[in-house]
Amino acid sequence: MDKGRGELQLVVFRLKEQVYGVDINHVLEIIRAAGVTAIPGAPAFVEGVINLRGRVIPVIDLARRLGLGTTGRSENTRIIIVEVGGATAGMVVDGVSEVLRLSPDDIQPPPAMVAGVSAAFLRGIALVGERLVILLDVTRIFHREEKEALRELSREA
Amino acid sequence: MFTGEEIAIYLEELEEKIQAINDNVLLLEREGGSPEVIQEIFRAAHTIKGSSAVMGYEKITSLTHEIENLFDLLRQGKMEVSENLVNVLFEALDALKLLKDEITGAGGGVDVSAVIEKLRSCRAGCGAGEPDAAPAGGELPPAPAADELPAGGSAYRFELELEEAVEEVVREAEVRGFQAYQVDIGIDRGCQMKGVRAFLIFETLQQAGEIIKSVPPAEDLQEGRYGEGFTVVLLTREDAGQVRDLVFSIAEVSSVEVRPIKLRSGEQPAAREAAGQQARKEANASPGRENIKTVRVDVQKLDNLMNLVGELVIDRTRLDRFVEVFESRYGSDDLVENIVEISNHLGQVTGDLQEEIMKARMLPVAHVFNRLPRMVRDLAHKLGKEIDFIIEGRETELDRNVIEVISDPLIHLLRNAVDHGIEPPEERVRLGKPRAGRLLLKAAYVESQIVITLSDDGRGMDPEKIRQRAVEKGLLTPEQAARAGEREVLDLIFAPGFSTASSVSDISGRGVGMDIVRNQIEQINGSVEFTTTPGRGTTFTIKLPLTLAIIRALMVTLGDHVYAFPLTNVLETLTFKPGEIQRVRHAEVVVVRGQVLPLVRLAHLFQEKSREEGRLSVVVLGSGDKKVGVVVDRLIGEQEIVIKSLGGYLGQVPGLSGATILGDGKVALIVDARAIVKETGVEDAALEMSRAG
Repeated sequence: MDKGRGELQLVVFRLKEQVYGVDINHVLEIIRAAGVTAIPGAPAFVEGVINLRGRVIPVIDLARRLGLGTTGRSENTRIIIVEVGGATAGMVVDGVSEVLRLSPDDIQPPPAMVAGVSAAFLRGIALVGERLVILLDVTRIFHREEKEALRELSREA
Repeated sequence: MFTGEEIAIYLEELEEKIQAINDNVLLLEREGGSPEVIQEIFRAAHTIKGSSAVMGYEKITSLTHEIENLFDLLRQGKMEVSENLVNVLFEALDALKLLKDEITGAGGGVDVSAVIEKLRSCRAGCGAGEPDAAPAGGELPPAPAADELPAGGSAYRFELELEEAVEEVVREAEVRGFQAYQVDIGIDRGCQMKGVRAFLIFETLQQAGEIIKSVPPAEDLQEGRYGEGFTVVLLTREDAGQVRDLVFSIAEVSSVEVRPIKLRSGEQPAAREAAGQQARKEANASPGRENIKTVRVDVQKLDNLMNLVGELVIDRTRLDRFVEVFESRYGSDDLVENIVEISNHLGQVTGDLQEEIMKARMLPVAHVFNRLPRMVRDLAHKLGKEIDFIIEGRETELDRNVIEVISDPLIHLLRNAVDHGIEPPEERVRLGKPRAGRLLLKAAYVESQIVITLSDDGRGMDPEKIRQRAVEKGLLTPEQAARAGEREVLDLIFAPGFSTASSVSDISGRGVGMDIVRNQIEQINGSVEFTTTPGRGTTFTIKLPLTLAIIRALMVTLGDHVYAFPLTNVLETLTFKPGEIQRVRHAEVVVVRGQVLPLVRLAHLFQEKSREEGRLSVVVLGSGDKKVGVVVDRLIGEQEIVIKSLGGYLGQVPGLSGATILGDGKVALIVDARAIVKETGVEDAALEMSRAG
């Protein structure tokens, strides 16, 4: 059943020409990006809220969250619904490609900055064949300290 | 030792019984000791004692034991109800509550010895202390004299008649997995130390379980005042054989007979009535005897159910759309008609389901009300006032979330009424009023709301005094005060920093009261108003939604989005031509019926693109004394919406109070109307001013 302890399964997706992965244990489902209601007054990286089968779920624009600017919408745009610390939230990505299995040995600690993304959001990087997959730390992405939130809000104003 | 579930059941019962004692002690104080009241307290104390002993909470056991002893004397008419007694009882009740907190971990280190001492001295003070009551209560059956006992040689045996209270303990113990045994113990005729033997037997049996009754009473037994034997009722998890062996391990025990106690079933009121004098009273007062008809459910589960039903409702709305499409595409086809029928039925069922789940979340308002009589009583005592506190409509049910919020404002209003409203007895007599002030708290359903009224027949409020006070406090200029109407003046009591009390007392706080009361009530989409007549009294009316989960809202559009305004804050809707808007400094205003109404544009607040079409639609919001007109693109209409939170991740978003899901599955945001009014609204009085100026 499980090949070697600690094997990691990643949901791999594209965002701004880069390939990222998140731990599949955090991922609840992947849905099409539609029907997002924008929230006035929320931080810029908050895309809005969606109706996920009767629940109202916040969705973030992952590109903005990572400080990569905006990304365009296309046929392939998806929302990855994740569960972090008991809360459910979504993140908009350019397209989901596959589920990868990795051994922890394949993962290297992240350099201070990869492709413009701060190491604070990263779990590491992995070289899979020819590709570099950037492993995101979902808990960090959805962790908002009070200070940060305030800073975001004041930047808005 | 005990599972969390068992402890929870115990605590729930404890709470219930403490409340029962509380209610009845209040009655005792007000109406003196009627046999029913005394019996109720006795039984409640006894029940607590029994279950606490089983659970091993010794302090509660000994405290309730004392209460029980006291009431046993009262029951037998060997003692009178006195003021001192009532006060000590209240003290004992407070101690009980603290002990309960100790169990739940909310407190600790409670010392009950002082209270127990007081209870004892009450008993001693009445001069009827001897002989002492049996620990297990009961009507002190005469100790069987030696010559009534079976002749020597044969085993000691006694036909035990269980009192109601003991039966109840037995029944509860059985529920908890204990078996009750009647243990008849014969002691050698030549025994020299009967008291010691009895003591040892008690000690031994108590290691195996709990003795809840003995004949003769324990005190007599330990003094050696018994014949050839005695009988105890033991609650234990051991079997009969083990109990027997235990007793036989004591010297000079000549016979032991252990019989499980078979309780009469609850369906024999006739037999019961014959059996006891008090039985009649209790036939309808013991729901515990019936089969279990309720289950305890975590609120979280109900919330989940509610969410699931929400999903159903949305799917049903979507189905409706398909039905329309089918109808227009295929006409009155058989299959289409079937779908219509199914869709309609589904709609009905989901509607009912939603309602039922909503009801399941409701609690009787008694949860809050029951705590109040004691508070009023203490306050009245402290302030030297006499008060008839009447509660009506305890059974009215409210959403549990509403119940949690309503308690604080209610307590505040009550305190005000007792402190400032109701006059001291002498003053009342002088005014030709009854000595005791009347305070009526009432809950009732009115349409789709709960209305709670609190009226007193006290001083009422004097608009002139309030006017004066408002000027002193700088809330109004003398000119404004002179011009303000009576209603406006009265509503100033809700203004922050206003207090009519001539002295700040520790009862009604420091004048931060009424604005907070209003705030708390409005936070749950309720409203509070009052009427007052100087010299005749004041009536507060609190209107609350049945539930917090569903509200009526006014739906509007702005740009591509739909927003919802809670209807409780919507005063009216208006439409204007753009030309009617005037500018006062930087602000936009319109004149409505001679009053100036400030305007804010929702598009501006929310930084969204507006799509105005000629006329302006304005939603007039009001909260407290303030008003503001909010310009939106288009009014859609009223609708019931299910409130959903935006989730912890987003937290509080300024200007929004939540979200809801529309029939088409889209999310609409709920506007925090109160906040908008608070920040941008202008007070009524000021509106008057600007008209005049």
